[in-house]
Amino acid sequence: MLGLYVHVPFCAAICNYCNFNRGLFDATVKGRYVAALVREIDGGAEPVRVGSLPDAADTIYFGGGTPSLLSPDDVSAVIQACRRRYAMADGAEITLEANPESITPGLLDGFRHAGVNRISFGVQSFRDDELKRLSRVHDSARAARALADARAAGFDNISLDLMMWLPGQQVDEWLESVDRAIAVAPDHVSLYMLEVYPNAPLRDEMARSAWSQAPDDDVAAMYVAGMERFEAAGFVQYEISNVAKPARRSQHNLKYWTDGEWQGFGCGAHSTRRGARWKNVSGTDDYIERMFGGRPPAIEKRCLTVDERLGDALFTGLRLNDGINVAVLNARYAADIWRRYGADLQPFVDLGLLEVTPDRWRLTRQGLLLAHEVMAVFV
Amino acid sequence: MDPRLIRNFSVIAHIDHGKSTLADRFLEMTGALQAREMEAQVLDAMDLERERGITIKAHPVRLHYTAKNGGKYVLNLIDTPGHVDFSYEVTRSLAACEGALLLVDASQGVEAQTLANAYLAVENNLEIIPVINKIDLPSAQPEEARRQIHEIIGLPGESAILCSAKVGTGVIDILEAVVDRLPQPAGDPDAPLKALIFDSWYDPYRGVVIVVRVIDGMLKKGAKIRLMAEKQDYIAEQLGVFTPKAVPVEELGVGEVGFLVANVKKISDAKIGDTVTETNRSAIEAFPGFKELKPMVFAGLYPVEGHEYANLRDALEKLRLNDASFFYEPETSVALGFGFRCGFLGLLHMEIVQERLEREFNVDLITTAPGVLYRVTTTDGVVHEIDSPAKLPDTGRIATVEEPVITAMVLTPSEFVGSILQLCQDKRGVQKSLEYLAAARVLITYELPFNEVVLDFYDKLKTISRGYASLDYHVTGYWASPLVKLDILVNDDPVDALSIIVHRDMAYDRGRALAAKMRELIPRQMFEIAIQAAIGGRIIARESVKAMRKNVLAKCYGGDISRKRKLLEKQKEGKKRMKRVGRVEIPQEAFLAVLKMGTDTE
Repeated sequence: MLGLYVHVPFCAAICNYCNFNRGLFDATVKGRYVAALVREIDGGAEPVRVGSLPDAADTIYFGGGTPSLLSPDDVSAVIQACRRRYAMADGAEITLEANPESITPGLLDGFRHAGVNRISFGVQSFRDDELKRLSRVHDSARAARALADARAAGFDNISLDLMMWLPGQQVDEWLESVDRAIAVAPDHVSLYMLEVYPNAPLRDEMARSAWSQAPDDDVAAMYVAGMERFEAAGFVQYEISNVAKPARRSQHNLKYWTDGEWQGFGCGAHSTRRGARWKNVSGTDDYIERMFGGRPPAIEKRCLTVDERLGDALFTGLRLNDGINVAVLNARYAADIWRRYGADLQPFVDLGLLEVTPDRWRLTRQGLLLAHEVMAVFV
Repeated sequence: MDPRLIRNFSVIAHIDHGKSTLADRFLEMTGALQAREMEAQVLDAMDLERERGITIKAHPVRLHYTAKNGGKYVLNLIDTPGHVDFSYEVTRSLAACEGALLLVDASQGVEAQTLANAYLAVENNLEIIPVINKIDLPSAQPEEARRQIHEIIGLPGESAILCSAKVGTGVIDILEAVVDRLPQPAGDPDAPLKALIFDSWYDPYRGVVIVVRVIDGMLKKGAKIRLMAEKQDYIAEQLGVFTPKAVPVEELGVGEVGFLVANVKKISDAKIGDTVTETNRSAIEAFPGFKELKPMVFAGLYPVEGHEYANLRDALEKLRLNDASFFYEPETSVALGFGFRCGFLGLLHMEIVQERLEREFNVDLITTAPGVLYRVTTTDGVVHEIDSPAKLPDTGRIATVEEPVITAMVLTPSEFVGSILQLCQDKRGVQKSLEYLAAARVLITYELPFNEVVLDFYDKLKTISRGYASLDYHVTGYWASPLVKLDILVNDDPVDALSIIVHRDMAYDRGRALAAKMRELIPRQMFEIAIQAAIGGRIIARESVKAMRKNVLAKCYGGDISRKRKLLEKQKEGKKRMKRVGRVEIPQEAFLAVLKMGTDTE
């Protein structure tokens, strides 16, 4: 089934490390943007043919930017549009990314009534010194309160993002954030490593303030110890960067890793359907103009070759702890994947990074840390 | 042509002292080229030459100049290469002249190369006109330059002409001085033909173009001629002069400079320094000074991708058409596969060849550490010339090893003398002399093992003197030395392409430094990599590159799988530029680690 992604490119402040598609919040632009979104969803890249059933979808994901800068009415309008255009499954997972500082009990209640049933908080760290270095607006107390407020508003599927390898962060400091994350009892946690882009303002600040990132070995230790602590607290790692309580895996993100299909709306949104891949124009104004000018927002559309699709399915699938199902991929792509890649993969098997059985291939925990080395085999 | 109206001269200058700009100005002021035809620095024809600001090949240009005395003169400007690797070509170019301009930068003063070439000019009995250039610069110190010309080179400084080639000041004074102060060519027009070859190149349409200076007699179009060193006969099919465009002529007489096309197929058949004479009326003796050029510096060149071998071979063949001083032969390395052992005149020459291969022929190269030509006598009394560490016989079979020695002249401000002497001692040098030439200018002469100079002497000299010291050298002989082969093992396997030959007393330090440098240059891989330095099977140093532990696990933004794929592709592309030896990916620069050792270990 299809996953729907809705991009919200607004932020109250720009973080010094972020290079996602975003800009500063502007109320007028936001109004026009939401109208454009609704128009895109209603129109659809491919209109419903008369007499045929609408496509079925079972997830909606509001990503950003900071989607929690939308009002509950905005969110409701978008969800309603999705329901008009797609056959939404009962109990569909509807996620909204939120920043702790922009959330209030009233807003949470509003989002819940609009149909959102999963909140993902961009917490990043539970240490205030680290949050300051990342130029985040919230502090750790605010993050904990946002989580408690979401619980009180009735959300039973709450996720938070944490980052390791922050400037100046040591292994123990990372584990302090892990422990505090466990203490606020989320249902799902994403753990990433900070990647400082070449032109990120954070890079200059790091140079000025002589902050450095921990050596690679320490980061590997952060990852392994962090995962172990979450497991001890009843979470299960199901993906390279994600842990969840039982039945709380991100249904939407799973589509990316299981060779699924998704349709993106909004500026810079990506879509993958029926072996083709495209993205919408990145600029917010450009996107709005196109939607109101009756011009399609999609650019860079291309059909993937079977080889590319298989390669993508393999390298994304290996992100999952369950790995890839050999029989399914062999059947879907009429291939014998071990015959094709076995020789290139054997060194990783020998090093204990990859486990191979006739049914499944999966990366070990050490292998997940070096996933790119293995995945490069498939491109 | 009347030799009284001919002046043949060249310009001696250090790199960047303005030789090419001055030559441009000559062309412009004598009307050889209209200003609009000029591309800056016409004489440096190869791109590489223009980029590096150096002249690799000598080009003669005929200038028509009407002097203030009313005479219509032909001035032949014979350009000379400006680098020590090409000093033999410099001597032949100078031999084709009666005089030389000694060009000194008004703010830089006299440098070692200027001095060395000035000595060469004096040895060739050339009349020298000192010229102080760049007097328009605010930092110009013409009086100091005058003093240095007098005190360091021993020429009358007061006779120096002040000029700014850039703005044109003094250029006419120089042309007048060329007419007045340089002697006319002296030669016997009735003697058998004797013409000196001082340059040649390969032209795909005409074959080898030979540049000559007629010493005696007359070179006529259609004449049967002989190249004396090769003892080959040809017909002089075309003659001409460069103005700088090629203009055909019927004959070239005493003192004239021009080109000759004679259906010579290979550039190695028309060697620089050889003499052209008539087949039927041969000169008794060739013009003196001819030498067979021998490569001095050797390195292995390998394609990064094995299947590029044939391309590399074709490229080398084509390069060799135009460069007789460069040598190559197939070589096989256990680590690198099929490649070539190549010989060069020097390090700059090697860099030029490498760059041309990569640029003009699109071959991705791995170059192994450059070395010199050793002379090894085995216990059976046979003498072997060894151009590669791999060819060094087993220790048990070696009776003696000799290494080439250079005489190096270092000209430096006196404040750096102490550290330069220390450097020369560290490089196993033997001091020959130390002269205070002028206030605060010192000429240090040392005998040094050539191998040490090939490694990193020049870089170190420039570093410790903050760029002020300059160097000139000539290979002057061989001396016996206790030399050993230093091997590098990667994960217990010796990598033949990383072996070097070093002095026994330095082997331990070198081995440690080299292993440490390799550790820096080899990126972490999925397993630990052991790097060892060994002499004759005995491990003297060990380093390890720890296993890589992680890649960055970043957020996937809204299902942008293409971005993830691009990241993986980029990673894979990076690996392609490395050479896989066993399981280990070794980056190109690691094979030249020995050249970069000094940077962190001191």
